[in-house]
Amino acid sequence: MKKRLLLRVIWTLAILGAWEALVRGGLVSQIILPAPSDVVHAAMTDGFTFLKAFWVTLFEIGVSIAIAWILGLASGLVAGNMPVAAIGVGSVLSSLFAVPLVILYPIFMAWFGFGSASKIVFGVLTGYFPIALNTLNGIRAVETRYLVMARAMGANRLQLYGLVLFPLAIPSIVSGLRIGTGLVVIGVVVAEMLASLDGIGFLISYHRTLFDTGDVYLGFMFTIALAIGINRGLSELERRFSQFSAVENDT
Amino acid sequence: MSIIDVRNVVKSFSIGQRSFTAIDNITFSVDAGKFATVVGPSGCGKSTLLMMIGGLAKPTSGEVKVNGEILTRPRPDLIGMVFQDATLLPWKTALGNVEFPLQLGGVNVQKRRSRAQELLTLVGLNTFAGHFPHELSGGMRQRVGIARGLAHDPTILLMDEPFSALDEQNRTKMGQELLRIWDVTRKTVLFITHSLMEAVYLSDVIFVMSASPGRIIETIEVDIPRPRPIDVIDTVAFGRIRNRIWHLISGVEA
Repeated sequence: MKKRLLLRVIWTLAILGAWEALVRGGLVSQIILPAPSDVVHAAMTDGFTFLKAFWVTLFEIGVSIAIAWILGLASGLVAGNMPVAAIGVGSVLSSLFAVPLVILYPIFMAWFGFGSASKIVFGVLTGYFPIALNTLNGIRAVETRYLVMARAMGANRLQLYGLVLFPLAIPSIVSGLRIGTGLVVIGVVVAEMLASLDGIGFLISYHRTLFDTGDVYLGFMFTIALAIGINRGLSELERRFSQFSAVENDT
Repeated sequence: MSIIDVRNVVKSFSIGQRSFTAIDNITFSVDAGKFATVVGPSGCGKSTLLMMIGGLAKPTSGEVKVNGEILTRPRPDLIGMVFQDATLLPWKTALGNVEFPLQLGGVNVQKRRSRAQELLTLVGLNTFAGHFPHELSGGMRQRVGIARGLAHDPTILLMDEPFSALDEQNRTKMGQELLRIWDVTRKTVLFITHSLMEAVYLSDVIFVMSASPGRIIETIEVDIPRPRPIDVIDTVAFGRIRNRIWHLISGVEA
């Protein structure tokens, strides 16, 4: 274990060293690829600004995820309950999902301003559709035999939903949450990059125009760390609900 | 004393403009404590009939009385149901699945757990209580299904082709097993199958149905004494009944 860790450290240092040499030697322009030392320098000078911006982004993403989940799950569950209406709702949702939502961003800017509100609205909107669609489809895909069984065993409407339909739909719902949450992150950061005064996306955009490549890469690192963190959380979610994906007839 | 009374029941469905009659004027009754079987070709409305008796569907006309009542909703305390695919909840253990009807009925955890354990012992699965459905064989899943059907200690057990997904060896074994359980619990059983052998081996009385529209064309009392060892299927009496049903069914089939 220790040996592997040591090997990893050596490899990382070697790559960073080679990278540093490549840029310092003038083989790659510093505007295209900053040397690791440039990124370290950026972190030393602008680290605090980035950290503050990171919190803003994190806040926007957190709020967006919460709203997208609640709205997506609720509307998917409700639409899934209406067998006839659900067909119409489903096709409306999937066609809206296909619209490049970024075209609406200028309007959101006008409605909600340059601050966090417009980022949150845009993040929610990008993440909402896959969550709602997958929830709807998951509910609709539940085989009738389970409903007949539950009714025969005496389930009332609430029990039918909570103890049978929803758990059976969980695999589909979880994959919707996975896709939707990833899209929320993209939506918020993109919105920050397009027009904003704060957040990691804004700092990346801002430093790019000034050719501060070290700062741009520092922004990348914050964003990647964020994405990895959120992905970890989603994997945990998937793991926790994996018991619901077991198939009954798999002998 | 009859406990299931089906009187002049008609069930028709409409698909768009057309309506078709799945069940056409069926009348029969089952006495308490008997093992009754409905046998017939696929599509004769056997399952529809079972759904109406179980309070899961309403007849278009006629009436179904169970224990003297017309049911407007399922009554798990009176009727236990066992389905074609065991239809167990995949995230619940064998024990959890047997507990499920009791959970729905608001029985407290300790009571329902001990009851479920008792039933798993009855069906010979006490050591598999913690297994999930995908870890059980088809026959074991059906045993869990039967235990679940018995959870509320109902008077009647309705069984919709419960062994049709099993291979022949397991099917025969489950038939014997069911008779053993029936002997212990003394429920009234209404069993649906399209296997003639299964019908004759298990039943006191057999209702033979024809298809489209579904009608009962004959009621056959099976006078083979119980207990019935498996060798009974080689006897002349058994063969005679089996063949009679075969001719009845094949005679009306297109």
